[in-house]
Amino acid sequence: MAAQPKALHLEQANYLEGGGIYGWLTTIDHKRIAVLYGISALVLMALGGTEAMLVRAQLIVPNNHFLSADFYNQIFTMHGLTMIFLVLMPLETGFFGNFLIPLQIGARDVAFPRLNALSYWIFLLGAIALNLGWIFGGLPNGGWFGYANLTERAYAPGINIDYYDIGLLILGVSSVMSALNFFVTIVNMRAPGMTFMRMPMFIWALLVTVILILLAFPALTVGLIFLFADRYFGSHFYEVIAGATPMLWQHLFWIFGHPEVYIMALPAFGMISEVLPVFSRKPLFGYPMMAYSIILIAFLSYGVWGHHMFATGMGPVADSAFAITSMLIAIPTGVKVFSWIATVWGGRLRFTTAMLFALGFILEFTIGGLSGIMHASAPIDLEQTDSYFIVAHFHYVLFGGVLMAILAAFYYYFPKICGRFMNETVGKWHFWLTTIFFNCTFFPMHFLGEWGMPRRIYTYAPDMGWNFWNKFESISAFCLGASFLLFFANIAWSWFNGEHAGADPWDARTLEWSIPSPPPIYNFVKVPVVHSRDAFWVEKYGDVEASGLGEKRVNVEFLPPASPEEVAGIHIPAASLYPILMAGAIFLAGLGMLVGWFRLVFMGLGLLAFCAIAMSFEYREWGEDNPHQVSESFLGLDNRKLGVWSFIGSECVFFASLISTFMVYKSRSIGVPDAQILNIPLTSFSTFILLMSSLLMVLALAGFQRNNRFWGTFWLFGTAVFGLIFLGGQVYEFGSFYHEGMLYNSNLFSQCFYTLVGFHGFHVFIGVVWLITVAIAGMKGKIGSKRALSVELCGLYWHFVDIVWVVIFTLIYLMRTINRA
Amino acid sequence: MSDHAIEHGHGVHAHAITEDHHPGAAVYLLVAVVLIVLTAMEIGVFYAPFLQAWLVPLLIILAVLKFILVAGFYMHLKYDSSVFTTLFAFPLLLAMMICGSLMLLFLYLGHHAG
Repeated sequence: MAAQPKALHLEQANYLEGGGIYGWLTTIDHKRIAVLYGISALVLMALGGTEAMLVRAQLIVPNNHFLSADFYNQIFTMHGLTMIFLVLMPLETGFFGNFLIPLQIGARDVAFPRLNALSYWIFLLGAIALNLGWIFGGLPNGGWFGYANLTERAYAPGINIDYYDIGLLILGVSSVMSALNFFVTIVNMRAPGMTFMRMPMFIWALLVTVILILLAFPALTVGLIFLFADRYFGSHFYEVIAGATPMLWQHLFWIFGHPEVYIMALPAFGMISEVLPVFSRKPLFGYPMMAYSIILIAFLSYGVWGHHMFATGMGPVADSAFAITSMLIAIPTGVKVFSWIATVWGGRLRFTTAMLFALGFILEFTIGGLSGIMHASAPIDLEQTDSYFIVAHFHYVLFGGVLMAILAAFYYYFPKICGRFMNETVGKWHFWLTTIFFNCTFFPMHFLGEWGMPRRIYTYAPDMGWNFWNKFESISAFCLGASFLLFFANIAWSWFNGEHAGADPWDARTLEWSIPSPPPIYNFVKVPVVHSRDAFWVEKYGDVEASGLGEKRVNVEFLPPASPEEVAGIHIPAASLYPILMAGAIFLAGLGMLVGWFRLVFMGLGLLAFCAIAMSFEYREWGEDNPHQVSESFLGLDNRKLGVWSFIGSECVFFASLISTFMVYKSRSIGVPDAQILNIPLTSFSTFILLMSSLLMVLALAGFQRNNRFWGTFWLFGTAVFGLIFLGGQVYEFGSFYHEGMLYNSNLFSQCFYTLVGFHGFHVFIGVVWLITVAIAGMKGKIGSKRALSVELCGLYWHFVDIVWVVIFTLIYLMRTINRA
Repeated sequence: MSDHAIEHGHGVHAHAITEDHHPGAAVYLLVAVVLIVLTAMEIGVFYAPFLQAWLVPLLIILAVLKFILVAGFYMHLKYDSSVFTTLFAFPLLLAMMICGSLMLLFLYLGHHAG
């Protein structure tokens, strides 16, 4: 059953070669997964671009009916969703992140290669779920932020919003998995000597980005779960008639949504910070301040969500607070812009296509940033919100900023990815056409917005004074779209026919350029030791400040070619079919929810559980410590333990969103049932049981750590039994509530209670399954090493579930009489 | 550089952090006893009429103590690398800020009118 790591042969070294289609479907190599992300995202970029062309075709003349009004709503919604979730994010973290993180930090792969493959396949199937409306009709049509309560079943009866809801839930799972994986990889798998302040700036940017993903997506997930409950189970999380408020959705969405802006922007900052120094022949200016700025931007991004909601009537205190934090975030962003300019200043510039796009990024992003600062001021925002001024602003940030950076990175890293250059002449044509027509398309939108043209308007009367600029923008947009045909053609042609590139074609500064292009499957035959920032540059020229021009390379063989013996000594994890099967199972479950066929949901979840357990047995050292990995890790910690703690961190935000909803809605709930229905004696008993299960859990761990398999297994089963007793109590409690007439959708109290306590119960159920799996492994003698890490990991999760219950028991049960109203 | 490179499987870690040993069964049992007592106190506070005015602060203090005990001893944060404490504490802080902000916004500031 267990898949053995494979010893390599030299002829297998190039990651692009061998394996056939099955090899690509089952790959767990980060570079191949990156390529899969890249191809998928480029196809989706073509789709999203086509949607943009349709939007502009509709707006080219007044009173136009080229598209129906409903289809127009679907098209602009899908354009936003596609570009944000299926193009920019996957290109930055999925494509460049996957490809570059291990290469830039001197690692052989990411921390969890199977999880990495699973993330990709879930992403792909999530993208398909979001786009199913192309086949069956009814694409999402509520805008990318899908404001409640227009998304409720009463106002959106079709399947459109269900695609949105289920699609984003699935994509969120993929994003969190990737983020967790990259976080552990960056924190724990850096090459010896690569301290935080020696990391490439792209790695800094991605580290902070994945933290944002881990801590921002759970809020969206909770919002989507409420929406799902409203649409499928008749609850009223966003309906005023039940005492609820649609504002809850806006808060949950923007708690995710503003960090999401930086989830897209920060990797772009990192890419630019890699390209500019190389083509300026200077080190990045103000490296420490650049790193601190990224951290500060990320931290502040959690406190600015309200500036998207100035028009909702939050009151002067809240408006002022959000205005101040929104203005503050301009400071670290300004630091970065000045540092990029200072990096270029006085450099010996090489105007390659990558450099042109990087310089273009600075200009366009700054324009977008300046219009963004305006929205930090509540009075100005009130005038501009939901107008075309906003459309101009965010396209300057996301297209002029983020996409320009991605294009720079494409031209820069293409030789490393496939060993060939992209055509520079075509590239420069692409750059100039894109830059000119991008500005022609989006700059006049500032004026249209100021002249009153609302965002998302279907068509307009001819006497509004908007005719000329709309026509101008639409024609420019078509030309902009055409310029991207050059880009796609350049990629396709260059992949097969481009000029061959060596390992270091740009005379670059970071580790990834020290290995062949395309890289071998194992990345580094010997793990490099890093002694400074810009490690490869310093190895070549001896000094980070060296210009590299006319200077003798100190060390021409940074990492010499591998011998067959050395390659044969490298073992890499075997490919696995389970990731794609698990993603398929999640897709089945999602499909079942979409069509309301819950049997399919359970089939999907069952297949998922089977595959998860089966995949866990693929590990050769199942349940054992992995001293090899720990001794090689940067922090001397086990990757899996770091991963579980990171997951627990993400779960904190998930439960915080659920708990705060309960606390907010408790006093708004209308009529009975209310909190007086809660059974304190029963729940007190359940609380004792769960607390004691934690005791049994640590006794089990202590048993295994003392090599006492019998008692270790005994206590593990005991923990599972106590978990089952707790669940039994919960089932009894829920059943008695139902008999007393408290249905899920009775009122706000009931739906908040069942959702919060039910999700906790679901976590307990997962924990019980995990416990039993580990206990069986213990019985079979697969656990018993010094630290029994698999027991400890299961225990961490179990104790977390326990302390969540400590909070729920106090806030929900014991404080049931506390009601602000 | 090749002389600085290391062979696969022979790590060099200037910043390696050693994990301490976990406590024994006696400490775990003691913590369990304290948890039981604290939970009993919570229930007592809930039912005691003369403590109703202090219900919220008392319950919060007791819950925080239980939280710290489980996280510190059973999840081994007291004994393990401080990296794990950071990984837990920062999201927890953020989660509390989100809770606090939403409650402030909905119950006292802008959206309380419904």
